[in-house]
Amino acid sequence: MDKDIMIKVKDVSMRFNLGIDKGFSLKQGFVNLFDPKMRKKHKEEKKKNEFWALKDVDFSVKKGEVVGFIGSNGAGKSTLLKVVAGVMKPTKGKVESYGTICPMIELGAGFDMDLTARENIYLNGAVMGYSKNFLDEKFNEIVEFSELKDFLDVPVKNFSSGMIARLAFSVATIVEPEILIVDEILSVGDLAFQAKSEAKMLNMITGGTTVLYVSHSIESIKKLCDKVIWIEHGEIQAIGGKEVCDKYIEYVNKEA
Amino acid sequence: MKNIIYSIKKYKFLLYELVSRDFKVKYKRSVLGVLWSLLYPVLTMTVMALVFSNMFKFSMPDVNYLVYLMSGLIIFNYYSEASNLAMSSVVGNFSLINKVYIPKYIFPLSKCIFVGINFLLTLIPLYAIILLTGTGINIHHLLLPYAFLCLFLFTVGMGFILATISVFLRDMFYIYGVMITLWMYMTPIMYDFAMIPAKLQFIFKLNPLYWFIYFTRDVILYNQVPSLNVWLYCGLFAVGFLLIGIFVFKKYQDKFIYYV
Repeated sequence: MDKDIMIKVKDVSMRFNLGIDKGFSLKQGFVNLFDPKMRKKHKEEKKKNEFWALKDVDFSVKKGEVVGFIGSNGAGKSTLLKVVAGVMKPTKGKVESYGTICPMIELGAGFDMDLTARENIYLNGAVMGYSKNFLDEKFNEIVEFSELKDFLDVPVKNFSSGMIARLAFSVATIVEPEILIVDEILSVGDLAFQAKSEAKMLNMITGGTTVLYVSHSIESIKKLCDKVIWIEHGEIQAIGGKEVCDKYIEYVNKEA
Repeated sequence: MKNIIYSIKKYKFLLYELVSRDFKVKYKRSVLGVLWSLLYPVLTMTVMALVFSNMFKFSMPDVNYLVYLMSGLIIFNYYSEASNLAMSSVVGNFSLINKVYIPKYIFPLSKCIFVGINFLLTLIPLYAIILLTGTGINIHHLLLPYAFLCLFLFTVGMGFILATISVFLRDMFYIYGVMITLWMYMTPIMYDFAMIPAKLQFIFKLNPLYWFIYFTRDVILYNQVPSLNVWLYCGLFAVGFLLIGIFVFKKYQDKFIYYV
Protein backbone atom coordinates (compact mmCIF):
# COMPACT_ATOMS: atom_id res chain seq x y z
CA MET A 1 0.00 0.00 0.00
CA ASP A 2 1.17 3.49 -0.57
CA LYS A 3 2.85 5.34 2.24
CA ASP A 4 0.76 8.44 1.79
CA ILE A 5 -2.20 7.05 3.69
CA MET A 6 -2.65 8.70 7.08
CA ILE A 7 -5.94 7.27 8.24
CA LYS A 8 -7.55 4.06 7.22
CA VAL A 9 -11.08 3.32 8.33
CA LYS A 10 -11.90 -0.30 7.57
CA ASP A 11 -15.51 -1.49 7.61
CA VAL A 12 -16.26 0.34 10.80
CA SER A 13 -19.63 -0.29 12.41
CA MET A 14 -20.78 1.19 15.65
CA ARG A 15 -23.66 -0.14 17.68
CA PHE A 16 -25.42 1.70 20.44
CA ASN A 17 -27.98 0.28 22.76
CA LEU A 18 -30.76 2.81 23.12
CA GLY A 19 -32.21 1.07 26.16
CA ILE A 20 -28.92 1.29 27.94
CA ASP A 21 -30.09 3.97 30.30
CA LYS A 22 -32.01 1.34 32.14
CA GLY A 23 -28.67 -0.20 32.81
CA PHE A 24 -28.29 -3.43 34.62
CA SER A 25 -31.34 -4.48 36.57
CA LEU A 26 -31.12 -6.97 39.38
CA LYS A 27 -34.70 -8.01 38.86
CA GLN A 28 -34.16 -8.69 35.18
CA GLY A 29 -30.97 -10.57 36.01
CA PHE A 30 -32.80 -12.87 38.39
CA VAL A 31 -35.70 -13.48 36.03
CA ASN A 32 -33.27 -14.28 33.23
CA LEU A 33 -31.38 -16.66 35.42
CA PHE A 34 -34.37 -18.87 36.11
CA ASP A 35 -36.61 -18.48 33.11
CA PRO A 36 -35.18 -19.27 29.67
CA LYS A 37 -38.28 -17.89 27.97
CA MET A 38 -37.84 -14.53 29.61
CA ARG A 39 -34.18 -14.64 28.75
CA LYS A 40 -35.03 -15.02 25.09
CA LYS A 41 -37.59 -12.27 25.23
CA HIS A 42 -35.14 -9.98 26.94
CA LYS A 43 -32.55 -10.68 24.28
CA GLU A 44 -34.99 -9.84 21.53
CA GLU A 45 -35.96 -6.67 23.28
CA LYS A 46 -32.33 -5.73 23.53
CA LYS A 47 -31.91 -6.31 19.83
CA LYS A 48 -34.87 -4.07 19.08
CA ASN A 49 -33.20 -1.29 21.03
CA GLU A 50 -30.02 -1.59 19.06
CA PHE A 51 -29.08 1.28 16.91
CA TRP A 52 -26.33 1.23 14.37
CA ALA A 53 -24.80 4.70 14.33
CA LEU A 54 -22.31 3.60 11.69
CA LYS A 55 -22.63 0.78 9.21
CA ASP A 56 -19.62 -0.56 7.33
CA VAL A 57 -17.99 2.79 6.89
CA ASP A 58 -14.88 2.39 4.82
CA PHE A 59 -12.54 5.03 3.51
CA SER A 60 -8.98 6.21 3.72
CA VAL A 61 -7.42 9.62 3.93
CA LYS A 62 -4.13 10.58 2.35
CA LYS A 63 -1.52 12.87 3.76
CA GLY A 64 -2.42 16.52 3.40
CA GLU A 65 -5.96 15.83 2.34
CA VAL A 66 -8.76 17.91 3.76
CA VAL A 67 -11.85 15.78 4.06
CA GLY A 68 -15.24 17.29 4.77
CA PHE A 69 -18.10 15.32 6.26
CA ILE A 70 -21.66 16.32 5.57
CA GLY A 71 -25.04 14.84 6.46
CA SER A 72 -28.14 15.50 8.52
CA ASN A 73 -28.16 15.73 12.28
CA GLY A 74 -27.66 12.33 13.82
CA ALA A 75 -26.26 10.85 10.64
CA GLY A 76 -23.21 9.59 12.49
CA LYS A 77 -20.60 12.20 11.59
CA SER A 78 -19.52 13.04 15.11
CA THR A 79 -19.53 9.38 16.11
CA LEU A 80 -17.24 8.66 13.19
CA LEU A 81 -14.82 11.38 14.25
CA LYS A 82 -14.84 10.05 17.80
CA VAL A 83 -13.99 6.60 16.54
CA VAL A 84 -11.12 8.00 14.48
CA ALA A 85 -9.87 10.02 17.45
CA GLY A 86 -9.82 6.89 19.60
CA VAL A 87 -12.44 8.12 22.04
CA MET A 88 -14.68 5.19 21.15
CA LYS A 89 -13.78 1.72 20.04
CA PRO A 90 -15.77 0.53 17.03
CA THR A 91 -18.07 -2.45 17.52
CA LYS A 92 -16.76 -3.93 14.28
CA GLY A 93 -13.94 -2.97 11.98
CA LYS A 94 -10.72 -1.18 12.56
CA VAL A 95 -9.23 2.28 12.43
CA GLU A 96 -5.57 2.77 11.69
CA SER A 97 -3.94 6.14 11.89
CA TYR A 98 -0.36 7.08 11.24
CA GLY A 99 0.38 10.35 12.96
CA THR A 100 -0.37 12.54 15.94
CA ILE A 101 -4.04 13.35 16.18
CA CYS A 102 -5.38 16.58 17.56
CA PRO A 103 -9.09 16.22 18.19
CA MET A 104 -11.03 19.45 18.36
CA ILE A 105 -14.30 17.68 18.76
CA GLU A 106 -15.58 19.97 21.41
CA LEU A 107 -13.56 22.96 22.44
CA GLY A 108 -12.86 23.56 26.05
CA ALA A 109 -13.77 20.06 27.11
CA GLY A 110 -10.85 20.07 29.52
CA PHE A 111 -11.59 23.39 31.17
CA ASP A 112 -12.21 23.66 34.86
CA MET A 113 -14.51 26.60 35.42
CA ASP A 114 -13.06 27.35 38.86
CA LEU A 115 -9.54 27.84 37.56
CA THR A 116 -8.13 30.93 35.92
CA ALA A 117 -7.40 31.23 32.22
CA ARG A 118 -3.70 30.82 32.90
CA GLU A 119 -4.23 27.61 34.85
CA ASN A 120 -6.64 26.31 32.24
CA ILE A 121 -4.18 26.81 29.42
CA TYR A 122 -1.88 24.35 31.16
CA LEU A 123 -4.63 21.95 32.17
CA ASN A 124 -6.21 21.89 28.74
CA GLY A 125 -2.82 21.62 27.09
CA ALA A 126 -2.04 18.62 29.27
CA VAL A 127 -5.35 17.05 28.31
CA MET A 128 -4.35 17.39 24.67
CA GLY A 129 -1.14 15.58 25.53
CA TYR A 130 1.35 18.47 25.34
CA SER A 131 4.32 18.69 27.67
CA LYS A 132 5.05 21.44 30.17
CA ASN A 133 8.11 22.68 28.32
CA PHE A 134 6.14 22.94 25.14
CA LEU A 135 3.38 24.91 26.83
CA ASP A 136 5.85 27.23 28.56
CA GLU A 137 7.36 27.93 25.21
CA LYS A 138 4.07 28.56 23.45
CA PHE A 139 2.30 30.30 26.32
CA ASN A 140 2.73 33.81 24.96
CA GLU A 141 1.67 32.76 21.53
CA ILE A 142 -1.50 31.22 22.91
CA VAL A 143 -2.33 34.30 24.94
CA GLU A 144 -1.64 36.59 22.07
CA PHE A 145 -3.81 34.66 19.67
CA SER A 146 -6.71 34.52 22.10
CA GLU A 147 -6.44 38.28 22.81
CA LEU A 148 -7.26 37.59 26.45
CA LYS A 149 -4.11 39.01 27.98
CA ASP A 150 -5.98 41.18 30.46
CA PHE A 151 -8.09 38.29 31.73
CA LEU A 152 -5.39 35.73 32.39
CA ASP A 153 -5.97 35.58 36.13
CA VAL A 154 -9.74 35.61 36.02
CA PRO A 155 -11.58 32.34 36.73
CA VAL A 156 -12.98 30.98 33.50
CA LYS A 157 -16.49 30.80 34.97
CA ASN A 158 -16.62 34.59 34.67
CA PHE A 159 -15.84 34.43 30.96
CA SER A 160 -18.42 34.80 28.24
CA SER A 161 -18.95 31.75 26.08
CA GLY A 162 -17.19 33.49 23.22
CA MET A 163 -14.14 34.15 25.36
CA ILE A 164 -14.02 30.53 26.48
CA ALA A 165 -14.21 29.37 22.88
CA ARG A 166 -11.40 31.72 21.88
CA LEU A 167 -9.17 30.46 24.63
CA ALA A 168 -9.93 26.85 23.77
CA PHE A 169 -9.32 27.38 20.07
CA SER A 170 -6.01 29.07 20.79
CA VAL A 171 -4.80 26.18 22.95
CA ALA A 172 -6.02 23.52 20.58
CA THR A 173 -4.40 24.90 17.46
CA ILE A 174 -1.05 25.75 18.96
CA VAL A 175 0.58 22.58 17.72
CA GLU A 176 0.81 21.57 14.18
CA PRO A 177 -0.53 18.07 14.48
CA GLU A 178 -0.30 15.67 11.59
CA ILE A 179 -3.99 14.95 11.77
CA LEU A 180 -6.52 17.55 12.83
CA ILE A 181 -10.09 16.58 13.62
CA VAL A 182 -12.48 19.49 13.63
CA ASP A 183 -16.13 19.30 14.53
CA GLU A 184 -17.94 22.49 13.65
CA ILE A 185 -15.91 25.08 15.44
CA LEU A 186 -15.09 27.72 12.93
CA SER A 187 -18.05 29.75 14.06
CA VAL A 188 -16.23 30.65 17.24
CA GLY A 189 -16.21 34.09 18.84
CA ASP A 190 -17.04 37.38 17.21
CA LEU A 191 -16.64 38.25 13.54
CA ALA A 192 -13.04 39.37 13.85
CA PHE A 193 -12.06 36.22 15.66
CA GLN A 194 -13.95 34.06 13.20
CA ALA A 195 -11.89 35.49 10.37
CA LYS A 196 -8.73 35.00 12.37
CA SER A 197 -9.49 31.41 13.28
CA GLU A 198 -10.45 30.59 9.72
CA ALA A 199 -7.18 32.06 8.53
CA LYS A 200 -5.35 29.93 11.07
CA MET A 201 -7.16 26.83 9.89
CA LEU A 202 -6.32 27.62 6.27
CA ASN A 203 -2.76 28.10 7.33
CA MET A 204 -2.64 24.69 8.91
CA ILE A 205 -4.30 23.12 5.92
CA THR A 206 -1.84 24.60 3.45
CA GLY A 207 0.93 23.61 5.84
CA GLY A 208 0.30 20.00 4.95
CA THR A 209 -1.86 18.93 7.90
CA THR A 210 -4.39 16.24 7.21
CA VAL A 211 -7.80 17.46 8.28
CA LEU A 212 -11.11 15.78 8.98
CA TYR A 213 -13.77 18.43 9.10
CA VAL A 214 -17.43 18.23 10.02
CA SER A 215 -19.66 21.15 9.25
CA HIS A 216 -23.19 22.06 8.32
CA SER A 217 -21.90 25.04 6.42
CA ILE A 218 -21.72 23.73 2.87
CA GLU A 219 -20.04 26.95 1.92
CA SER A 220 -17.06 26.41 4.18
CA ILE A 221 -16.83 22.75 3.20
CA LYS A 222 -16.65 23.78 -0.42
CA LYS A 223 -14.04 26.37 0.36
CA LEU A 224 -11.76 24.18 2.45
CA CYS A 225 -12.08 20.56 1.41
CA ASP A 226 -10.53 18.50 -1.37
CA LYS A 227 -12.69 15.52 -0.64
CA VAL A 228 -16.23 15.32 0.64
CA ILE A 229 -17.91 12.36 2.31
CA TRP A 230 -21.65 12.38 2.69
CA ILE A 231 -23.05 10.23 5.49
CA GLU A 232 -26.69 9.46 6.08
CA HIS A 233 -28.15 6.96 8.59
CA GLY A 234 -24.66 5.78 9.43
CA GLU A 235 -23.81 4.84 5.87
CA ILE A 236 -21.66 6.55 3.34
CA GLN A 237 -23.87 7.85 0.55
CA ALA A 238 -21.16 9.32 -1.60
CA ILE A 239 -17.46 10.05 -1.64
CA GLY A 240 -15.98 12.45 -4.08
CA GLY A 241 -15.11 16.04 -4.81
CA LYS A 242 -17.23 19.12 -4.28
CA GLU A 243 -20.00 17.71 -6.46
CA VAL A 244 -21.03 15.57 -3.48
CA CYS A 245 -22.23 18.75 -1.78
CA ASP A 246 -24.66 19.41 -4.61
CA LYS A 247 -25.99 15.86 -4.38
CA TYR A 248 -26.54 16.39 -0.68
CA ILE A 249 -28.34 19.68 -1.22
CA GLU A 250 -30.53 18.02 -3.82
CA TYR A 251 -31.37 15.24 -1.36
CA VAL A 252 -32.22 17.70 1.38
CA ASN A 253 -34.49 19.69 -0.91
CA LYS A 254 -36.26 16.54 -2.01
CA GLU A 255 -36.82 15.43 1.59
CA ALA A 256 -38.24 18.80 2.45
CA MET B 1 4.28 -3.06 28.87
CA LYS B 2 6.10 -0.77 26.49
CA ASN B 3 2.81 0.94 25.81
CA ILE B 4 2.20 1.52 29.49
CA ILE B 5 5.58 3.15 30.00
CA TYR B 6 5.07 5.27 26.92
CA SER B 7 1.63 6.41 28.05
CA ILE B 8 2.85 7.20 31.56
CA LYS B 9 5.63 9.29 30.08
CA LYS B 10 3.31 11.07 27.73
CA TYR B 11 0.64 11.75 30.33
CA LYS B 12 2.92 12.50 33.27
CA PHE B 13 2.25 16.18 32.86
CA LEU B 14 -1.49 15.64 32.70
CA LEU B 15 -1.30 13.65 35.92
CA TYR B 16 0.61 16.51 37.52
CA GLU B 17 -1.91 19.04 36.25
CA LEU B 18 -4.89 17.02 37.50
CA VAL B 19 -3.39 16.71 40.96
CA SER B 20 -2.50 20.39 41.14
CA ARG B 21 -5.95 21.29 39.89
CA ASP B 22 -7.47 19.39 42.81
CA PHE B 23 -5.31 21.35 45.21
CA LYS B 24 -6.14 24.69 43.67
CA VAL B 25 -9.86 23.99 43.66
CA LYS B 26 -9.88 22.51 47.13
CA TYR B 27 -8.37 25.51 48.85
CA LYS B 28 -9.80 28.27 46.72
CA ARG B 29 -11.62 30.86 48.83
CA SER B 30 -10.70 29.27 52.13
CA VAL B 31 -8.86 31.57 54.49
CA LEU B 32 -6.66 28.94 56.08
CA GLY B 33 -5.97 27.09 52.82
CA VAL B 34 -3.50 24.23 53.03
CA LEU B 35 -3.43 24.65 56.80
CA TRP B 36 -6.72 22.74 56.80
CA SER B 37 -4.86 19.61 55.78
CA LEU B 38 -3.05 19.83 59.09
CA LEU B 39 -5.90 21.08 61.24
CA TYR B 40 -8.62 18.79 60.02
CA PRO B 41 -7.17 15.48 61.26
CA VAL B 42 -6.18 17.07 64.56
CA LEU B 43 -9.68 18.37 65.13
CA THR B 44 -11.42 15.10 64.20
CA MET B 45 -8.96 13.27 66.40
CA THR B 46 -9.72 15.58 69.30
CA VAL B 47 -13.44 15.02 68.93
CA MET B 48 -12.99 11.26 68.78
CA ALA B 49 -10.58 11.31 71.69
CA LEU B 50 -13.06 13.27 73.81
CA VAL B 51 -15.86 10.87 73.00
CA PHE B 52 -14.09 7.55 73.07
CA SER B 53 -11.50 7.88 75.78
CA ASN B 54 -14.38 8.30 78.23
CA MET B 55 -16.53 5.56 76.75
CA PHE B 56 -14.06 2.72 76.39
CA LYS B 57 -11.67 1.64 79.03
CA PHE B 58 -8.46 1.69 77.10
CA SER B 59 -6.47 -1.19 78.53
CA MET B 60 -2.98 -0.65 77.20
CA PRO B 61 -1.10 1.12 79.99
CA ASP B 62 2.10 1.82 78.05
CA VAL B 63 0.37 3.19 75.04
CA ASN B 64 -0.69 6.76 74.58
CA TYR B 65 -4.28 6.81 73.39
CA LEU B 66 -3.87 9.95 71.29
CA VAL B 67 -1.03 8.45 69.28
CA TYR B 68 -2.93 5.17 68.98
CA LEU B 69 -5.99 6.97 67.70
CA MET B 70 -4.19 9.36 65.37
CA SER B 71 -2.07 6.67 63.69
CA GLY B 72 -5.14 4.59 62.87
CA LEU B 73 -7.21 7.59 61.90
CA ILE B 74 -4.89 9.09 59.30
CA ILE B 75 -4.51 5.74 57.56
CA PHE B 76 -8.21 5.06 57.50
CA ASN B 77 -8.99 8.63 56.45
CA TYR B 78 -6.56 8.35 53.57
CA TYR B 79 -8.18 5.18 52.35
CA SER B 80 -11.70 6.44 52.80
CA GLU B 81 -11.20 9.79 51.08
CA ALA B 82 -9.02 8.50 48.24
CA SER B 83 -11.25 5.54 47.43
CA ASN B 84 -14.34 7.72 47.45
CA LEU B 85 -12.83 10.30 45.13
CA ALA B 86 -11.37 7.63 42.86
CA MET B 87 -14.76 5.95 42.65
CA SER B 88 -16.47 9.06 41.31
CA SER B 89 -13.54 10.24 39.19
CA VAL B 90 -14.46 8.39 36.02
CA VAL B 91 -18.13 9.33 36.10
CA GLY B 92 -17.20 12.89 37.09
CA ASN B 93 -14.84 13.38 34.18
CA PHE B 94 -17.21 12.01 31.61
CA SER B 95 -17.28 15.24 29.62
CA LEU B 96 -13.57 14.78 29.01
CA ILE B 97 -13.61 11.05 28.37
CA ASN B 98 -16.34 11.54 25.82
CA LYS B 99 -14.39 14.06 23.79
CA VAL B 100 -10.68 13.49 23.95
CA TYR B 101 -8.69 10.31 24.10
CA ILE B 102 -7.07 10.12 27.53
CA PRO B 103 -6.06 6.92 29.26
CA LYS B 104 -8.87 6.56 31.76
CA TYR B 105 -6.81 5.10 34.58
CA ILE B 106 -5.32 8.55 35.02
CA PHE B 107 -8.42 9.81 36.86
CA PRO B 108 -8.54 7.35 39.78
CA LEU B 109 -4.76 7.44 39.97
CA SER B 110 -4.63 11.23 40.17
CA LYS B 111 -7.15 11.19 43.05
CA CYS B 112 -5.10 8.65 45.00
CA ILE B 113 -2.00 10.79 44.53
CA PHE B 114 -3.81 13.98 45.46
CA VAL B 115 -5.11 12.53 48.72
CA GLY B 116 -1.69 10.92 49.22
CA ILE B 117 -0.01 14.31 49.30
CA ASN B 118 -2.59 15.40 51.83
CA PHE B 119 -1.80 12.26 53.79
CA LEU B 120 1.87 13.20 53.93
CA LEU B 121 0.85 16.57 55.33
CA THR B 122 -1.14 14.86 58.08
CA LEU B 123 2.08 13.19 59.20
CA ILE B 124 3.11 16.59 60.56
CA PRO B 125 0.39 16.67 63.24
CA LEU B 126 0.95 12.97 63.88
CA TYR B 127 4.61 13.56 64.64
CA ALA B 128 3.76 16.62 66.67
CA ILE B 129 1.57 14.43 68.87
CA ILE B 130 4.21 11.70 69.02
CA LEU B 131 6.68 14.25 70.33
CA LEU B 132 4.31 16.10 72.63
CA THR B 133 3.11 12.94 74.33
CA GLY B 134 6.64 11.75 74.84
CA THR B 135 6.16 8.61 72.76
CA GLY B 136 9.45 9.26 71.05
CA ILE B 137 10.97 8.55 67.67
CA ASN B 138 13.42 5.82 66.82
CA ILE B 139 15.30 4.44 63.87
CA HIS B 140 12.48 2.02 63.03
CA HIS B 141 10.39 4.89 61.76
CA LEU B 142 12.36 4.57 58.55
CA LEU B 143 10.35 1.40 57.88
CA LEU B 144 7.04 3.27 57.74
CA PRO B 145 7.23 4.18 54.03
CA TYR B 146 6.72 0.47 53.33
CA ALA B 147 3.34 0.50 55.06
CA PHE B 148 2.38 3.75 53.35
CA LEU B 149 3.37 2.42 49.95
CA CYS B 150 1.28 -0.71 50.54
CA LEU B 151 -1.63 1.47 51.63
CA PHE B 152 -1.28 3.54 48.45
CA LEU B 153 -1.14 0.53 46.12
CA PHE B 154 -4.09 -1.11 47.83
CA THR B 155 -6.09 2.11 47.54
CA VAL B 156 -5.25 2.51 43.85
CA GLY B 157 -6.43 -1.06 43.26
CA MET B 158 -9.67 -0.46 45.15
CA GLY B 159 -10.09 2.85 43.32
CA PHE B 160 -9.95 1.06 39.98
CA ILE B 161 -12.45 -1.56 41.11
CA LEU B 162 -14.87 0.98 42.59
CA ALA B 163 -14.63 3.33 39.62
CA THR B 164 -15.47 0.47 37.28
CA ILE B 165 -18.43 -0.72 39.31
CA SER B 166 -19.84 2.75 39.78
CA VAL B 167 -19.89 3.38 36.03
CA PHE B 168 -22.27 0.48 35.53
CA LEU B 169 -24.09 0.71 38.83
CA ARG B 170 -24.65 4.19 40.23
CA ASP B 171 -26.14 2.66 43.37
CA MET B 172 -22.55 1.97 44.30
CA PHE B 173 -22.10 5.52 45.59
CA TYR B 174 -24.71 4.87 48.27
CA ILE B 175 -23.76 1.28 48.92
CA TYR B 176 -20.14 2.22 49.38
CA GLY B 177 -21.06 5.04 51.73
CA VAL B 178 -22.67 2.48 54.04
CA MET B 179 -19.83 0.03 53.53
CA ILE B 180 -17.20 2.54 54.52
CA THR B 181 -19.02 3.33 57.75
CA LEU B 182 -19.15 -0.35 58.61
CA TRP B 183 -15.53 -0.69 57.54
CA MET B 184 -14.51 2.06 59.92
CA TYR B 185 -16.00 0.27 62.91
CA MET B 186 -14.50 -3.01 61.74
CA THR B 187 -11.05 -1.43 61.82
CA PRO B 188 -9.42 -0.99 65.21
CA ILE B 189 -8.97 2.77 65.01
CA MET B 190 -10.42 4.00 68.28
CA TYR B 191 -10.81 0.79 70.24
CA ASP B 192 -8.34 -1.78 71.45
CA PHE B 193 -8.25 -4.85 69.24
CA ALA B 194 -8.07 -7.10 72.32
CA MET B 195 -11.68 -6.11 73.08
CA ILE B 196 -12.87 -8.16 70.11
CA PRO B 197 -13.88 -11.72 71.11
CA ALA B 198 -11.14 -14.15 70.09
CA LYS B 199 -13.56 -16.11 67.91
CA LEU B 200 -14.32 -13.10 65.74
CA GLN B 201 -10.81 -11.76 65.44
CA PHE B 202 -10.08 -13.64 62.22
CA ILE B 203 -12.75 -11.62 60.40
CA PHE B 204 -11.02 -8.42 61.40
CA LYS B 205 -7.75 -9.76 60.12
CA LEU B 206 -9.14 -10.15 56.61
CA ASN B 207 -9.20 -6.39 56.46
CA PRO B 208 -6.10 -5.09 54.63
CA LEU B 209 -6.30 -1.79 56.50
CA TYR B 210 -5.92 -3.73 59.75
CA TRP B 211 -2.46 -4.83 58.63
CA PHE B 212 -1.30 -1.42 57.42
CA ILE B 213 -2.34 0.06 60.75
CA TYR B 214 -0.80 -2.86 62.64
CA PHE B 215 2.53 -2.29 60.91
CA THR B 216 2.44 1.43 61.63
CA ARG B 217 1.57 0.99 65.29
CA ASP B 218 4.20 -1.68 65.77
CA VAL B 219 6.77 0.88 64.76
CA ILE B 220 5.34 4.00 66.36
CA LEU B 221 3.95 2.64 69.61
CA TYR B 222 6.12 -0.36 70.36
CA ASN B 223 9.41 0.72 68.77
CA GLN B 224 9.84 -2.63 67.08
CA VAL B 225 10.38 -4.08 63.65
CA PRO B 226 7.12 -5.75 62.58
CA SER B 227 7.34 -9.51 62.25
CA LEU B 228 7.74 -11.12 58.87
CA ASN B 229 4.12 -12.17 58.51
CA VAL B 230 2.98 -8.56 58.95
CA TRP B 231 5.30 -7.50 56.13
CA LEU B 232 3.91 -10.30 53.99
CA TYR B 233 0.25 -9.57 54.66
CA CYS B 234 0.75 -5.89 53.86
CA GLY B 235 2.58 -6.62 50.62
CA LEU B 236 0.24 -9.37 49.47
CA PHE B 237 -2.92 -7.36 50.08
CA ALA B 238 -1.42 -4.34 48.33
CA VAL B 239 -0.15 -6.12 45.23
CA GLY B 240 -3.13 -8.46 45.09
CA PHE B 241 -5.75 -5.73 45.09
CA LEU B 242 -3.70 -3.60 42.71
CA LEU B 243 -3.56 -6.45 40.20
CA ILE B 244 -7.27 -7.21 40.52
CA GLY B 245 -8.00 -3.51 40.09
CA ILE B 246 -5.87 -3.20 36.97
CA PHE B 247 -7.41 -6.34 35.51
CA VAL B 248 -11.01 -5.24 36.12
CA PHE B 249 -10.43 -1.68 34.94
CA LYS B 250 -8.64 -2.78 31.80
CA LYS B 251 -11.28 -5.29 30.94
CA TYR B 252 -14.20 -2.88 31.15
CA GLN B 253 -12.75 0.52 30.29
CA ASP B 254 -13.78 0.43 26.63
CA LYS B 255 -17.39 0.03 27.68
CA PHE B 256 -17.39 3.02 30.03
CA ILE B 257 -18.31 5.40 27.28
CA TYR B 258 -21.72 3.78 26.73
CA TYR B 259 -22.72 4.00 30.36
CA VAL B 260 -21.53 7.35 31.61
